[in-house]
Amino acid sequence: MSNDFYTSSILPYSGIIIKICRAYTDSQEDFEDYYQEVCLQIWRSKDKFRGDSKWSTWVYRLSLNICLTLMKKKRKTHQYYSTDNIVQNEFTDDKTIFSDENLNLLYEAIKQLSEVDRAVILLYLEEKPNKIIAEIIGTTPNNIGVRISRIKERLKKILNEKIN
Amino acid sequence: MKKSIESIWKNGFLDKETILLPKLNNLSSQKSIHIIDKFKRRFKININALIVFSFIILVISFIVKIQIMGILIFILLNIVAIINKKLLKSLKKIDKNVSSYWYLKSFDTWMQAQIAFNMKMSRYIYPYVTIALSSGFWYSSSFQKALDDLFGGYNPYIIYGIPIYWVIVTLCIVILSTIFGARIYKWDLNLVYGSTLKKLDELIKDMETLRTQ
Repeated sequence: MSNDFYTSSILPYSGIIIKICRAYTDSQEDFEDYYQEVCLQIWRSKDKFRGDSKWSTWVYRLSLNICLTLMKKKRKTHQYYSTDNIVQNEFTDDKTIFSDENLNLLYEAIKQLSEVDRAVILLYLEEKPNKIIAEIIGTTPNNIGVRISRIKERLKKILNEKIN
Repeated sequence: MKKSIESIWKNGFLDKETILLPKLNNLSSQKSIHIIDKFKRRFKININALIVFSFIILVISFIVKIQIMGILIFILLNIVAIINKKLLKSLKKIDKNVSSYWYLKSFDTWMQAQIAFNMKMSRYIYPYVTIALSSGFWYSSSFQKALDDLFGGYNPYIIYGIPIYWVIVTLCIVILSTIFGARIYKWDLNLVYGSTLKKLDELIKDMETLRTQ
């Protein structure tokens, strides 16, 4: 991957990529692997970008899809090793990844959501319009609106439970 | 919780240090280890399957009274298993403390040497199997009886004690399997390890592109 491509086409979106990767991983090691894989896949697939959507939208969509795929693969591998008793407790609880305690709590709550709901709320929190979120997830903006309200309610509930 | 999730998010990420970029190094290391581990597992399973299969053939050959064939195949499969076990041992010696690229390259070199060796062996293995089957069946009394039942008093054309047609057919198959042995092995290899080899090839190509850019 050329430095130019990384600096101009990935780095400006690294913030959201990091946030997405954090939401789908449980350890620093996994997070770094996911981030690397997302960057590598963006670079590999760059020729497939047809310009139907904005580059940023395409990057978000790709990042989410890669994280979801990696998560499924990881689960399969984990199951395989677990049954063979080769590697146990591969995942470590990394609850204090950010200096902000509230942010850590919020991430913990987000990780309790379904995979799709995590994607929706991450994009919402990044202030993406419902139309763009719908485009990335593959649904209608109306559905996204309703979904966001439900997710927010759920998050509030989880956060309150955590605090109390 | 008094703060809204939006404000937690916003305030949490105000500090730029919160989003520390991970270093992009040792790309695809996990992937390469995963591919090679997958191959090792399958290779080990296949060696064990060969040994188990050799015993099954041996037992069956004694039951159906084609002992010569059973013994010959048993010896062959165990020799192949022993050779491949040695190859697996040399695979385990590949140094993991190098970059993913060199790890994959070492594996690829091992793989090519292994394929070349097995292709050479195949030129002898398939003819050997043909001879084992042919002689096994020919000297089997139950097979002779089956031929008698099928053709009603089968009387083979024999010159100086040699069943001419039987030997000609066997020789033809032996020659063909000597010529096509390597190709049959390649076909068999692709059937079992095709997807893994393809992934390995893609990964090496990818890494080579990464290195040149």
